[in-house]
Amino acid sequence: MTSAVLKRVVRREIHSPRTVSTVIVLALVVVAAIYVGVEIVLHLLGVGPFLVAPGAALTWLQELPDQHQGLVVAGGLLVAVAGVVLVWFALGAGRRPKHELGSSSYAVLVDNGVIASSVAERVRRELDLSKGAVVVGVGHRSADITVRPEPGQPVDRRHVRAVAESELAGYELSPRVKVRARVLRAADVEGLS
Amino acid sequence: MNATNRGVNRAVLFIVGVLLIGVGGATVMAMLWPVAGDLWKSWSSTGVDWMVSADQASRISEATTVSWFTLAILALLALMVVIAVIVIARLGGGRSIVVIREEVGTGALGSVTIRHGFAADAITRSLESREEILSSKVNARRLWGADVLHVSVTPRQNVSPVEVAETVTGLVGRLATLLGREISTIVTIHSGIRSRLAADQSRVN
Repeated sequence: MTSAVLKRVVRREIHSPRTVSTVIVLALVVVAAIYVGVEIVLHLLGVGPFLVAPGAALTWLQELPDQHQGLVVAGGLLVAVAGVVLVWFALGAGRRPKHELGSSSYAVLVDNGVIASSVAERVRRELDLSKGAVVVGVGHRSADITVRPEPGQPVDRRHVRAVAESELAGYELSPRVKVRARVLRAADVEGLS
Repeated sequence: MNATNRGVNRAVLFIVGVLLIGVGGATVMAMLWPVAGDLWKSWSSTGVDWMVSADQASRISEATTVSWFTLAILALLALMVVIAVIVIARLGGGRSIVVIREEVGTGALGSVTIRHGFAADAITRSLESREEILSSKVNARRLWGADVLHVSVTPRQNVSPVEVAETVTGLVGRLATLLGREISTIVTIHSGIRSRLAADQSRVN
């Protein structure tokens, strides 16, 4: 009936609206514009400048290449980097860490954290591991599973992968998630730390 | 989820970003490359000369230093502020209090509206009794001419999202059966600080 609207809602829910960065940028623009306006008005009234008079600022700008190099170059680089970040924000997808659940007839969106903890619980139960022995990270297209069994407890990497895959298959996530499993032995843990 | 115009957001970020890249890049070039430095000086002195002459040519009267040129600049700055405020004020929106509306003529009994509070109460009360669901929130939105119900739930940690989805969509489905109309619904399942804190409460399965 309104599946087109629902599709659109889902797409909007999965991507960031960029509202926070837009508000910050616009607030800075407003502050800068008001400041320049105040300086011009002060100049017109013949009152001393708040920070710098418009004429002095223009002269400074004109003679910029003769000023202290290091500071101005650093400032320019900073401004350019901020610009690159903003352009990246404008053009990037801005995906939120969520997946759509395909197993329901309604539109259902799940945080990656919920998927991760549920998969971890299933793996933990299936392999009879202690609490905290399974760590799962779910990304946009992959799930990383790290298992840390007790010393002497045999755990097969392929088994871990199969269990996690069977759990994820029940979710019918979109986009699909690829499982990568890792088993850390007690010796490895010591070697790492 | 709301009716924010995201194209405007991204356009603002893009324009400001390109301007900053231009300004920053030009500054660095002018400082580090003598040719660009000379170009900067000649262009900026041309610009400042033009501004000074425009200022002097457009004086409002002989007695003042106020010129139409400065007034135009002030107006431009005011316009920038107004546009920025309008963009900020138009963010968000789309919240609705109606879940289902039947205009006169489409329903058997004339005009019928089901308000958001009814659906919200029905769903949140039912979810409250559920052990595995910590909190739930129901919003109604009117987006692009359609009413959309948004149910967001935070389950306890380690609960399967499929079970949660079945619970919630089951409720919505029963509500739809009761009302005799399909409700376009989106369900979001969240992980949050609350679900992590509540994870250690042991459950008997």
